[in-house]
Amino acid sequence: MKGNEAIAEAALRAGANNYFCYPITPQTEVAEYLARRMPEVGGVFLQGESELAVANMLFGAASTGKRCFTTSSSPGISLMQEAISYMAGAQLPCVIVNIMRGGPGLGGILPAQSDYYQAVKGGGHGDYRLPVLAPSSIQEAVDLTMLAFHIADKYRNPAMVVGDGMIGQMMEAVEFPEKYIEPPLPPKDWAATGAKGRDPHIIKSLFLDPVALEKNSQVLHEKYEQMKRDEVRFENYSVSPENEALIVAYGTMARICQTAIDELGSEGISAGLLRPITLFPFPEKQIYDEASKKNIKAVLVVEMSMAQMFEDVERAVVGKKPVHFFGRTGGIVPTPEEVMSAVRRSLGAESGAKRPRKKS
Amino acid sequence: MVMDRSVRQQTSSLSFVKNIVTIVGGFGSGKSEVSVNLSRYLATTCDQPVSIADLDIVNPYFRSREAAERLQEFGVRCIMPEGANRHSELPIILPEIRGAIEASATGFGKLILDVGGDDLGARVLSSLADAFREGSYDLLLVLNANRPFTADVAGCIRMITEIEGASKLRFTGIVSNTHLMDETTGTIVLGGLELAREVGRSAGLPVVFLSAERSVLDEIEVDALDLPVLPLDRILLKPWERPGS
Repeated sequence: MKGNEAIAEAALRAGANNYFCYPITPQTEVAEYLARRMPEVGGVFLQGESELAVANMLFGAASTGKRCFTTSSSPGISLMQEAISYMAGAQLPCVIVNIMRGGPGLGGILPAQSDYYQAVKGGGHGDYRLPVLAPSSIQEAVDLTMLAFHIADKYRNPAMVVGDGMIGQMMEAVEFPEKYIEPPLPPKDWAATGAKGRDPHIIKSLFLDPVALEKNSQVLHEKYEQMKRDEVRFENYSVSPENEALIVAYGTMARICQTAIDELGSEGISAGLLRPITLFPFPEKQIYDEASKKNIKAVLVVEMSMAQMFEDVERAVVGKKPVHFFGRTGGIVPTPEEVMSAVRRSLGAESGAKRPRKKS
Repeated sequence: MVMDRSVRQQTSSLSFVKNIVTIVGGFGSGKSEVSVNLSRYLATTCDQPVSIADLDIVNPYFRSREAAERLQEFGVRCIMPEGANRHSELPIILPEIRGAIEASATGFGKLILDVGGDDLGARVLSSLADAFREGSYDLLLVLNANRPFTADVAGCIRMITEIEGASKLRFTGIVSNTHLMDETTGTIVLGGLELAREVGRSAGLPVVFLSAERSVLDEIEVDALDLPVLPLDRILLKPWERPGS
């Protein structure tokens, strides 16, 4: 399946029958697919008049306790930030998928990862975070989309799935679980389901009493601390004690790095990859542990953006080893050759550094 | 190679190879890869000039325009948006395309039209339908039985009806291009061919050729199929993939 279709089908299989959208390349196929599938499963497909409308429809649908989601791409996600902050404040679960394209502004339609800060560091206002899942294959896009609904419900918080445009547009074979079984979740005893015979449930992010507002922020903060303890996900590729270089990359960029690692191996350069699957919570301890290994001479962060995740890796490595960066933007995808060069440069094996940033 | 010879014998004698070969089909059926490989094949086997026009107004990535440089090496003329417009998702239909259709319809030169997916993508043909002359073109449905909406006869017939309605052209044949990307096996290809033949019987259309990746074709008794075969070399690769890997 095409990534966008696979994400749509995965959401349906996770029981999310309420979808609100506004079309934007390169993710419009999600809407295309669901316009056909939603009526078959008796769900709600609604194309809003704008991303602002869509994000506030999510607020409404999530308030009823039903699983709901939207998909968009970078500029559309920017428009949704206010409602995302409101949903985080009101503790409403929903899933937002961002198939990232080149920015800033209207940018272009080709793949990018330049919404890392927006996804991971907030985007909207206030003390809130989003759990952010970053698939690198279509199968993982399916698995993580389904997981995102679970995490959203578990923590009563919006969850985000970020894929670069490639994840939305490329095709790969996928397998859906025959019967989707997820671990038990607490009952949604907060949902607005009609107040007959009980007191109304008030769902809001407005707390005029500063004590109540601070309390709300503390409740949210405790959830984010729990995510840091329980939800960190990552994958290693070709990690071994002989490695001289550690690459950190996520999404499809990680697959390009894998090709580079394989080909560097044949010229006697031993490198490994740590791929964060959750961008928040970030696998900082795991990166620190890998970078601290005796043989590692350099850490290289590779992104389709201008050194955004780089800052989190630098923070994780806390000066233990030099951290270098290589990235392309604008929809230009780094080639395995470029990554190989960047690894050689970071090990001092090739001169003429293009744009390394060095710490220590 | 044995495979190549069988293709050459059969494909070159095919009556479907009229001057204009229009490749349509479901979203993600493999139209662009088939178009690109067919263009290259024709450029290396037939004595007429070969052109390919990218009419994909639906898909933003993995379009045949990405293979332009490689096709030009084989002498294929590529009619595709230039410069920044190459990366636009706007429905750009170059004026040269109408000219190329008229030229091939009335005279000399092979033209491959790579059209976007589903009826949405095929709609672009309706604006050009008057340039096609009856009998001068083939309209081929590329069929991948592993795609969600063309997995059974009913789904394929619906696709055929919708595309014919949108394009205002009539199908002349089916290309069996069933695959599962890197996980394609000979069995999968043959299973898809079975569906293509059933759809063909039901719609009154011939299966004109089978296409599959060269390495997968090695698993199949190609000669026993009684059908022309176009071996595919994947040209529209993902950034981490290497040709032939």
